[in-house]
Amino acid sequence: MYLILKGCGILSVFKDLWWFFKQEKRSYLTGFVALLILAILDLVPAWMVGQVVDLVNTKQLTYDHLLQYALMLIGLGIVAYICGYLWRISIFGAAYRLGRLLRDRLYKSFTKMSPQFYHKQRIGDMMAHSTNDIQAVTMTAGEGVMTLTDTVVLGGLVVATMAITIDWQLTLLAVLPLPILAYCTNRYGKLLHKRFHLAQKAFSTMNDKVQESMAGVRVIKAFGQEDDEKKEFGGLLDDVVQKNVAVARVDGLYDPTIIILMGISTLITIAVGTLKVLDDTITVGQLTQFTILLGKLIWPMLAFGWLFNIVEKGRASYDRVNILLTTEPQIQDLPDAVAEIPTGDIEYKVEQFQYPEAERQTLEDVQFSLRKGQTLGIVGKTGSGKTTLFRLLLREFEGSLAKVFINNRPIDHYQMSYLRRAIGYVPQDHILFSANIAQNIAFGNPEATQEQIEAAAKVACIHEDIMQLPQGYETVVGERGVTLSGGQKQRVSIARALLLNPEVLILDDSLSAVDAKTEHSILHELRMNRSDKTTMISAHRLSAVEEADLIIVMEDGRIVERGTHEDLMRLGGWYKEMYESQQLESLIMEGGR
Amino acid sequence: MSTTARRLIRYLSPHRSYFWVAFAFLLVATAADVFAVPLAAKYIDEMVSPRNFDPTWILIYGGVFLGLHILSAILHYYQLVRFHTLAQWIVRQIRTDVFARVQHLGLSFYDKKPTGSLVSRITNDTEAVKDLYVEVLASFMQNAIYVIGVFTALFALNWRLALVTTFILPIFWWLMRMYKKYSSVSFRKSREKLSAMNAKLSESLGGMNIIQTFTQEKRLREEFGQLNHEHFKANLRNVQLFGLLLRPASRVVYALGLVVVLYYFGILSFDGAVTIGEMFAFINLFERVFEPFNQMMMRLAPMQQSIVSAERVFELMDDTETAPIKEGEGNPEIITGEIEFRDVTFSYDGETNVLKNISFKARPGQTVALVGHTGSGKSSTIQLLMRFYPLVQGTILIDGEPLETFSDEELRSKMGLVLQDSFMFYGDVKSNIRLHNQGITDEQVREAAEFVQANMFIEKLPKGYDEPIGERGATFSSGQRQLLSFARTMAIDPKILVLDEATASVDTETEEAIQLALNKMRKGRTTIAIAHRLSTIQDADLILVLHRGEIVERGTHQELLAEEGLYHKMYLLQTYGTNLEVVQ
Repeated sequence: MYLILKGCGILSVFKDLWWFFKQEKRSYLTGFVALLILAILDLVPAWMVGQVVDLVNTKQLTYDHLLQYALMLIGLGIVAYICGYLWRISIFGAAYRLGRLLRDRLYKSFTKMSPQFYHKQRIGDMMAHSTNDIQAVTMTAGEGVMTLTDTVVLGGLVVATMAITIDWQLTLLAVLPLPILAYCTNRYGKLLHKRFHLAQKAFSTMNDKVQESMAGVRVIKAFGQEDDEKKEFGGLLDDVVQKNVAVARVDGLYDPTIIILMGISTLITIAVGTLKVLDDTITVGQLTQFTILLGKLIWPMLAFGWLFNIVEKGRASYDRVNILLTTEPQIQDLPDAVAEIPTGDIEYKVEQFQYPEAERQTLEDVQFSLRKGQTLGIVGKTGSGKTTLFRLLLREFEGSLAKVFINNRPIDHYQMSYLRRAIGYVPQDHILFSANIAQNIAFGNPEATQEQIEAAAKVACIHEDIMQLPQGYETVVGERGVTLSGGQKQRVSIARALLLNPEVLILDDSLSAVDAKTEHSILHELRMNRSDKTTMISAHRLSAVEEADLIIVMEDGRIVERGTHEDLMRLGGWYKEMYESQQLESLIMEGGR
Repeated sequence: MSTTARRLIRYLSPHRSYFWVAFAFLLVATAADVFAVPLAAKYIDEMVSPRNFDPTWILIYGGVFLGLHILSAILHYYQLVRFHTLAQWIVRQIRTDVFARVQHLGLSFYDKKPTGSLVSRITNDTEAVKDLYVEVLASFMQNAIYVIGVFTALFALNWRLALVTTFILPIFWWLMRMYKKYSSVSFRKSREKLSAMNAKLSESLGGMNIIQTFTQEKRLREEFGQLNHEHFKANLRNVQLFGLLLRPASRVVYALGLVVVLYYFGILSFDGAVTIGEMFAFINLFERVFEPFNQMMMRLAPMQQSIVSAERVFELMDDTETAPIKEGEGNPEIITGEIEFRDVTFSYDGETNVLKNISFKARPGQTVALVGHTGSGKSSTIQLLMRFYPLVQGTILIDGEPLETFSDEELRSKMGLVLQDSFMFYGDVKSNIRLHNQGITDEQVREAAEFVQANMFIEKLPKGYDEPIGERGATFSSGQRQLLSFARTMAIDPKILVLDEATASVDTETEEAIQLALNKMRKGRTTIAIAHRLSTIQDADLILVLHRGEIVERGTHQELLAEEGLYHKMYLLQTYGTNLEVVQ
């Protein structure tokens, strides 16, 4: 009773999936009918065996009977074959289609989310949602539907046949131990889930250790720690063994439980059945048929226990997936946003800006403007708000008191995709995709010609490096390919942004890993190639911004100094101090000469 | 039998007795399982058919029947758990072996293999090998024994009929072969597509801001959708194969078998030469053959995958690129810490030399600095000194003895390496300074930290030296991590210091602390240092300027500046930046 009540609650996942069942009406109906026919066919051999036994017992069997039964059996076999194939294709096919659909939708919603979403969610969790959770929902729509049908239809049919065609009292007694089987299966399933989870955890701890050990191999070798590492690893392995054996201890319970309960059931059947045969209530053939039918109840009972585990997981997973699917992106286009690529002067009017859920404000009173074609340099300590300024321009974040204008129009009055087309962004962390270098540079415009790609690479001073690689521009980079150095990655991402010839180019501390000489030539190339386009550069090394039309010095979210290099040097503040400290060595040298 | 299979079996041999006990359990359990059927048949023939109602006999039959079931249940349970445990032990051993192997492989090996694929070999592939053992030991063998048990009983009941029913065996054999052939392809495809899809997804999630700022959402969605669809197709193919060749097909075989059995008994019954019990027993047993076959067939494709994984694991185990080890007689010790390179030429791949005729000498206590552009050979020089790679041409001498003659322990305890990226292990501050050296006391850990002034920030941590470090020390700044790795090196109090200066930018305050610590550390120790910022090595006793694997200039800071060569140029570049032209 408890199980049934609880089941109704859990089974509500089928109600939630109803839209899909309706959409796939034909598949599910076909599958259901095929399962139904199969369930009925399943009963025939038992009945037939019973008939033959009785005919043999009463010596009435003839060749005609035998031929008739043989033909029937073969016919049944063929129909069963077709039905068995059909329901699998229909129901599992539909379930896989659901998985495909949800996965596509999930991916689509991921692509719409604002960075704020990515700051809160961990990639690992999101991966889990789109693999494990969708798998669990797929299971519900496939195995779940199948086990539900089998439990209700096959189980019901077998019990009905036993009760109606043979003997209801015998049936009642025989099925008495079977709910225990369903209960145990369900219990084991839960316990198994819990222990399996622990085993997974032990495995992932071991995995982490291996990862650490491989990544830190130089330290381990330098300190001669190899044997100690092995010892530590051994301890983790013991844990893995122990946790997995604990899983096996539960997993092993299924078969013995079935053996014992079916043994009891068969014993009851034969004992009581004997009495009934002696009373002439039933025939020997019917008794034989009954024991075969009893065997057919194992699966519906197992399926019943299994159903709960599938549906329980499916319920939780579907809820999680649904939350993700219904999450609205935090930043959306305004209804009257214009569809044009912004161009013109850029103006920042930031009274204050605070990240959502941050305790203090990141920017305060940052106001400046930049004419089209000018270069802006932003310097200041880590955490002073340099990147935040770019994020506002990219509309990765927004705030009511933080306005940015392009051509005197607030950027949220442009459609987001058009705004972004105006900007070439080179982030601090250089992310490349698993593709060849040419594809990576042409990321923003897959139709770009080889000439365009090489031109961009030359400006970014990476062309020579690429030509040194085994397959040149065809060299695959990323996880499965060649590993580029940090500086090379930075220059590829610069080329990627340059290929779009954007109105505004943002270099967010993107020259940190290239040497001074390369930095110098990149900046030189940029000046030559982007004469009337706007460029914004943030940097630690002041040499990168020295030639900018406007340099702003940030500190704790405020502009503390502004002007050209010469202005700032005259001002004698942080910039000058920093510049001088970066030049200190040269002064010493001159003094030493 | 393939070598892989033979090796997999060899892992079983240390656990031979454990295996045979479990095997005996399995045999007895299966026998008990199967024997219950003829027992029931005998009961039908002796009690039910002749209508012979004897309560004592009914009780005896019932008791034996139930007893057999309980025996079978208990033994089944134990054999199952035992075989699982066995599989776990074996995989534990395989993992230990492969991990140990990899630990002792040289760095030349690590250079070629990306970390991700190595980790996957040691964990995921061995996990697949575990599945193989579990499947074969706990499932495949069990099902096979069951089939054998049932057929034995069938032969005992009626050998003529049993012989006839063996016609199902070649059919199953054929079905298995077909399924194995086709499903191994579609299974592999499905797995490949899944992993491609996951790789795409994780990459997209990691680089979503790039995708969005470059407005490539639509294209990526299409690419993902394509993979998703291919994965779907592979899965559907699996279902098709299953439906065509497994369960539904075995139903047809069952129907055919039943026709044969019924015909046989029917014809025999015309002469009255058949008992109901015999028929009951035969049909009941015959039915039980099919499920084990289904089970075995279903497991074929994953098993094949596991064999491929096993091959990969063994391949890794057989790799011979071991790290260089001690050679020659004697056990020299490092006392003064004098280092000398004599005509060292080195190449990673045997083709291009990354070092050419490198010769220099660092007297005890001196600092030798290596400068040069990326790829000039600075790191290779250090790697050779640390004996991470075998020396091919030339000699490296420490205290006048060749590097090869020192034992690993001696080298690792007297030479302290500080790497560019300060690697942090999972654990706490203390364990990251001490590593596994239990010989280093808490007091020494503290002293080491104080020496490099890392204690300043450590003591401010909520738990001080016991502060946990997770996720590669992400909660610490890179400067703090550097100080910790300095302390780690100081804890072993090395005679020789090998430094690879970090290029990562740190704030000025930490920078000062780092420079201070470095100066302290260098005192009284022979130091070989790679410098990216020339300002940090002005007091070096010898500066070597490397260019394309050769020492092009050597001398002190002042001498090199006076030379106005490459060093001078580099110095100008670093200090004047873009104003280079002006200066020149």
